[in-house]
Amino acid sequence: MATVTLDRLGKRYAGGGAPAVQDVTFEVAHGEFFVLLGPSGCGKSTTLRMIAGLEAITEGTLAIDGKRMNEVPARDRDIAMVFQSYALYPHMSVYDNMAFGLRRRAMPKAEIDRRVRVAAAILGLEPFLGRRPHALSGGQRQRVAVGRAIVRDPKVFLFDEPLSNLDAALRASTRQELIRLHRRLGATMIYVTHDQVEAMTMGDRICIMDHGRVAQIGAPLDVYRRPATTFVAGFLGSPPMNLLPATVADGRVRLGEATLTLPARVPEGPVTLGVRPEDLVPVPEGPLRGEVVAVEPLGAETILSLRLPGVERELMLRAGRSAPAGLGERIALVAPHDAIHLFDAATGCRLT
Amino acid sequence: MWGRVLARAAVMLVIVLWTMFAAGPFLWVATISLRTTSEFMAAPYALPETWRFDKFATAWTGSGYDTYFTNSILVVFSAVAIVTAVGAMAAHALARYRFPGNRLVYLLIFSTIVLPPQITVIALFQTLAKLGLYDTRVGLTLVYAAVQLPLTVYILESFFARIPADLFDAARIDGYSEWATFWKVAFPVAMPAIATVVILNTILLWNEFLYAVVLIADDARRTLPLGIQKFMGDQLEDYGMIATGLMIAIVPVVLIYAIFSEKLIQGMTAGAVK
Amino acid sequence: MTSPRERPAWGAIVPFLLPATVFYLGLTAYPVIRTVWNSVHEVLPRREAYVGGAHYVELWADDTFWRAVRNTVTWALVAPFLEVSIALLLALALYARVPAARILRIAWFTPVLMSYVVVGIVWMWIYNYDWGAANAILRAVGLGHWAQPWLGTTDTALPALIVVTTWMWTGFNMVVLLAALHALPTEVIEAAELDRCGWGAKLTRVMVPLILPTILNLLVLSFVGKMKIFDLVWITTKGGPLWSTETVSTYVYKRAFEWSTFDLGYPSAIATVWFVIVMSFVAVLTWMVRRQQKLEY
Ligand SMILES: Nc1ncnc2c1ncn2[C@@H]1O[C@H](COP(=O)(O)OP(=O)(O)OP(=O)(O)O)[C@@H](O)[C@H]1O
Ligand SMILES: [Mg+2]
Repeated sequence: MATVTLDRLGKRYAGGGAPAVQDVTFEVAHGEFFVLLGPSGCGKSTTLRMIAGLEAITEGTLAIDGKRMNEVPARDRDIAMVFQSYALYPHMSVYDNMAFGLRRRAMPKAEIDRRVRVAAAILGLEPFLGRRPHALSGGQRQRVAVGRAIVRDPKVFLFDEPLSNLDAALRASTRQELIRLHRRLGATMIYVTHDQVEAMTMGDRICIMDHGRVAQIGAPLDVYRRPATTFVAGFLGSPPMNLLPATVADGRVRLGEATLTLPARVPEGPVTLGVRPEDLVPVPEGPLRGEVVAVEPLGAETILSLRLPGVERELMLRAGRSAPAGLGERIALVAPHDAIHLFDAATGCRLT
Repeated sequence: MWGRVLARAAVMLVIVLWTMFAAGPFLWVATISLRTTSEFMAAPYALPETWRFDKFATAWTGSGYDTYFTNSILVVFSAVAIVTAVGAMAAHALARYRFPGNRLVYLLIFSTIVLPPQITVIALFQTLAKLGLYDTRVGLTLVYAAVQLPLTVYILESFFARIPADLFDAARIDGYSEWATFWKVAFPVAMPAIATVVILNTILLWNEFLYAVVLIADDARRTLPLGIQKFMGDQLEDYGMIATGLMIAIVPVVLIYAIFSEKLIQGMTAGAVK
Repeated sequence: MTSPRERPAWGAIVPFLLPATVFYLGLTAYPVIRTVWNSVHEVLPRREAYVGGAHYVELWADDTFWRAVRNTVTWALVAPFLEVSIALLLALALYARVPAARILRIAWFTPVLMSYVVVGIVWMWIYNYDWGAANAILRAVGLGHWAQPWLGTTDTALPALIVVTTWMWTGFNMVVLLAALHALPTEVIEAAELDRCGWGAKLTRVMVPLILPTILNLLVLSFVGKMKIFDLVWITTKGGPLWSTETVSTYVYKRAFEWSTFDLGYPSAIATVWFVIVMSFVAVLTWMVRRQQKLEY
């Protein structure tokens, strides 16, 4: 168990151009499950690899348990990593794959054997210990990759999109397994993903990254409920939060031809108004009126797209099993006061 | 309809003729190797009446083939071991690391594959003489390793480049140095390509003649191709015995080929397919 | 997919490259430079003297050298076309789904695996005047008056040896071409079939153009191989009769190690000239093949 502290960590690749990672600051607590979330290319892997010692740190400091790690080679950081490709050694059996990292540490054979067997038992890998990776299914390979990390009993576990090569069903069950594993080991884990469901369900806290910078850090539901920027608002949720251009004037918000009361005091001028599709409630008579332009029945819920008069972007609405209105019909909506989010139109930062 | 049949027949004819043309000479030598010279002179294209396998024993002990064969084995196997290790290390470094001059080194090695051997053979003769390695098996071994180095690096580099970088990162996190990672991960993972170059180099060096004829003088250090050439010079008319000697050189190649035909074809054609 | 290269400390790379570098510098690069140095010196066992371009001037007037160049270039120009065209024919035959194609492919490849020493001796016998297979077949079909000592006649010796290299290398070329044919996208050939192309049209308009890069590669490879040829000639004719099969390589060898002139400078000059010629041919041909391939895409 350990704390991991990043202080204005940055990475600039030799090729030049914009830094891949910039000013990343956070502290992961003992035993915390910390998720790095963001779209492709936002610098999640780079950040993780700097923590692992696979990538040189060009700016800022990294500390594990308060000790500066910038110059410490990967092997001396006492971390373990699970790769997206699993990176299993193809020429070694499952047993040897797990034992490989222990052999280098001059550990007694009996202890190596004990650890491998314990890890195999936890992950249900006992029947496969003698097999080569190519003779395993994707899910089994993934568990070997996790097992290889467990046997090391490291201070920090690092995961780089470990589930993205699994099919949907397996991904859901493995997610649960990893959560249980985290509880059982109580270890510090840093987990990279671009999948918001993984982030929401697994993380104690999530850190959302955008273009190499931290956009927001917080508990999953806090981040979901109070996104700090339009980027975070638009990234989380599916369908994501509706973000519509609006204007604040006279203590009210004008959205196209509709007018809403202000949820809080904000300066006058153009804003971006955010409202989650599930926060919109159809009512017989309400301030927001629009025409239904698309209906997507998904079984458990129905997604409607509305066009509001005077608003260019469509508004998404999440309704129950049956659609409250058909295609081409007009419908009125309200949103609770606390479900209206206002962001600065220029910077995208939260105003309320 | 008849056109089809005719075309088919023409194709079959071409195939049969070429097969006879390609294989005939070997089969002929094989028959001669089991017959005495006088039997051969009486009927050059007859099959052996009695299969005289004892001729192989005679050639082996009486004509120095045991020495030639041992020399060939020694020189070829050591050279292949050296060139595999040295070449794999270099190929790994070229495939994996970015450093100034990386592509230049690669280009240099690549162009050396087509180097005419005459440009080095005279100077190698001088150099080995100066080092006291002229007319030694060690000298020939080192030259052989150097001669096969470019092709070895060329074939292995393209294979090493295809090993995913994650594997090396995993080994690094597992605590292994670059050196240990190479021997414990990269080298075993590249085994299919290593096997290809080992077999290919073995065959090519087994057949090598020019460097051997320049760098070896003493009969006791001759390799098989030199031995055969000498035997033919000495016993020009003893066709039966020469054929036996030829078979001693051919059989190991055919055996290796029979077992590893696909790998060998792969290696030989590696440069051409690109 | 290639893995990204990383940039580590020099300390990590040097151990990997050092042995290869030592071998390369010591036993390849240095000998090349030494040979070039030799070429402007008179190199006798105990004495070396600078002679400037004297060897090159001598070379210019050396009839044997020019004879060797002519022979070698003839060989290097004729053999590739023979090998590759016959190989293409054979590859197409195997491509037409004949029985036992797999085994035939392996069998036809065999000659290239043999030592030139072995091949040379076998073919000396095949060309033997009295009982060689070549003459035996001629006599059997009633063309006995054509029988001759193929390697002993100045007019036929070089063609006879070209037949030998063709015999040896055609299988190799065939295997490469067959692989290229099999790698062709089937849709292309099927499309041609739908267009009601005949076999001949399919071949010349669709298949051959598609494998043209491979064909060019093979031609270059064969060309370069023949420019270096030594072993076969040395075993069979030693350049004779009357220099009719002398190649540059055999001439270098003779001047360096056979003739009792002892000077290594002159043969080094020949080797240097040939080195420059071969390498520039390779450079130009590779460049042309590259350009051709660019047009393909
Ligand atoms: N070796 C490199 N050299 C130069 N730039 C790089 C290198 N590796 C990554 N980058 C750049 O750094 C940025 C961040 O890359 P990174 O791999 O961290 O993204 P990521 O968030 O993990 O994305 P993904 O979800 O696709 O894995 C990208 O813009 C990428 O192009
Ligand atoms: Mg990534």
